[in-house]
Amino acid sequence: MQASRARLFKEYKEVQREKSADPDIQLVCDDSNIFKWTALIKGPSETPYEGGVFQLAFSIPEQYPLLPPQVRFLTKIFHPNVHFKTGEICLDILKNAWSPAWTLQSVCRAIIALMAHPEPDSPLNCDSGNLLRSGDIRGYQSMARMYTRLAAIPKKG
Amino acid sequence: MGYDAMANNASVPAMSRDFGKKKKANRSAKLKQCKLDARREQWLSQVKNKSCLDGSTEASPTATISQPRMSLPRPDQGVLGIRPRNMNPQLEMEHDGLGLRDSGLDSPVQSPTPGRGEGDDKGGPDDWEAIADALSAAGNHTRITPDAEKITEDSMMNGVEDTRLVAGATKPDANQVTRRAWRPDDAARPHCLPNLSKQRSFPVNIERRFAASGWDPRTIISAPSSCPICVEDFDLTDSSFLPCYCGFRICLFCHKKISEEGDGRCPGCRKKYDRVACTEKIVIAAGLPLPFRFSRSCSMNART
Repeated sequence: MQASRARLFKEYKEVQREKSADPDIQLVCDDSNIFKWTALIKGPSETPYEGGVFQLAFSIPEQYPLLPPQVRFLTKIFHPNVHFKTGEICLDILKNAWSPAWTLQSVCRAIIALMAHPEPDSPLNCDSGNLLRSGDIRGYQSMARMYTRLAAIPKKG
Repeated sequence: MGYDAMANNASVPAMSRDFGKKKKANRSAKLKQCKLDARREQWLSQVKNKSCLDGSTEASPTATISQPRMSLPRPDQGVLGIRPRNMNPQLEMEHDGLGLRDSGLDSPVQSPTPGRGEGDDKGGPDDWEAIADALSAAGNHTRITPDAEKITEDSMMNGVEDTRLVAGATKPDANQVTRRAWRPDDAARPHCLPNLSKQRSFPVNIERRFAASGWDPRTIISAPSSCPICVEDFDLTDSSFLPCYCGFRICLFCHKKISEEGDGRCPGCRKKYDRVACTEKIVIAAGLPLPFRFSRSCSMNART
C-alpha cells in the first residue's frame, strides 16, 4: 500500500517533470485518487489510428508495481487486441509478462506500439482479427480509420 | 599474542633495513599470508566455495558501469579485498611480488614477513595479524607517518587519475597505485578496521583487475541511488546487493516481496530469481562485497 503510493507519487513527479518528453502521451492522475489515472495517447502515424486521440483509463492495484495496472480504452477503437465494447486490452505486459520495472508511462508506450503492430492471432476483437488474418488489410484499415474518425478525432466546428 | 606483537614490532625496523633481501623472501611470506587469510576467511565468508564462479560472472555487467567506478578509488577496496583472495591466492602472490618491487614503501604489514623468510622471526606468519595490529596502532604514526602522509597527498591529488590511467595497465603498476591509494587509511583508522587494513594490504592488484573488468561494488554505490521498484533510497546493504546476473538492482525488501508474493522473476530480465543461489550470487555478482556486509544483508533479508 505504502510502497505503491510512494511509487505512484514518484511516477507522478516524473510525469510532471518530463511532460514534453513524449508528446504522444499525456498522463493525468485523478485529483483525489492516486490509484486512478487517465492517459491520452495519440494514434501512431502511418496507421489507421493516425490523428486520433485515445483515452485510456488506468486502475492501479494496491500491490502495484508487483501487479500490473488495469488499463482499458475509454475511446472506442477498432483493433484486434482491444475489446470493442469494454475497451479491454490484450497485451502480455499487462498480464503475465508484467514486470515491476515498467511504469505507467512505459505501459502507454507499449499500447501505442500495440496499436501500430496488432497481433491478430490473439484477438479480443474477432472481426478485426479475422480481417487481418484473412489478409484483408485494406478492410481492416478502413474499418479502423472509420472508427478513429468517429470516436477519436475531435469534431471540428 | 600481545607479546608476539610487541616482539615483532620491535624487529620491524631491522628488517625493513634489509630491503634487498626482503624481495627475495617476499614470495614465501606471501604464501603464508595467503594461507592465513584463507583461514580467517573461513569464518568471514560463506561463499568461499563459490569462488570458482567468479570467472564466469566476471564478464557480464561490466561495460555499463566501468566509468563511475574509477572516480571513487578508495572506499570499497576493503570490500573487494576479501573475495579475490579466497578465489585465487596464487594470482595475488604473483602480483604482490611484483608490486612489492615497485613500491619500496610498502604497508607496515608487509615489513615483518620477509624477516620470517630469513629465519630470524619464526613466529612471523602466525602472528601476522598481531603484527599488523600493533603496527597500525603504534608503529604507524611514528615510523611510517612521513611516508604515509606523502602518499596520502599523492593519492589524494592523483588518486583518481592514477587509477583511471592504471586501471587498464599492467598488473604491477596497478598494484602500486592502489596500494598507495588505500594505504593512508591504515594510518588514519587503524583500530576501527583492523581486518580491513590487513586485507587491503594484499589483494589490491586483483581488485584492480576486477575493477578494470568492471567488477566493483563502487558501481553499486554510485550507479542507482534508489530502488526502481519501491523508489526507496538504497541503503548500504541494498547497494551491495545484486540479486540477478542481469545487473538489475532492487532493494532487499522488494526482492523478498517479489520472491514471495510476486512471480519471483527479475524485473529487469524476467528470469526467475535463483532463490537458493541468490545469496552467493549477490557476493559473486556484486563484485565481491564485504562478507561482513554480506552476512548482515542476509540476516536483514531474513528478518524483513
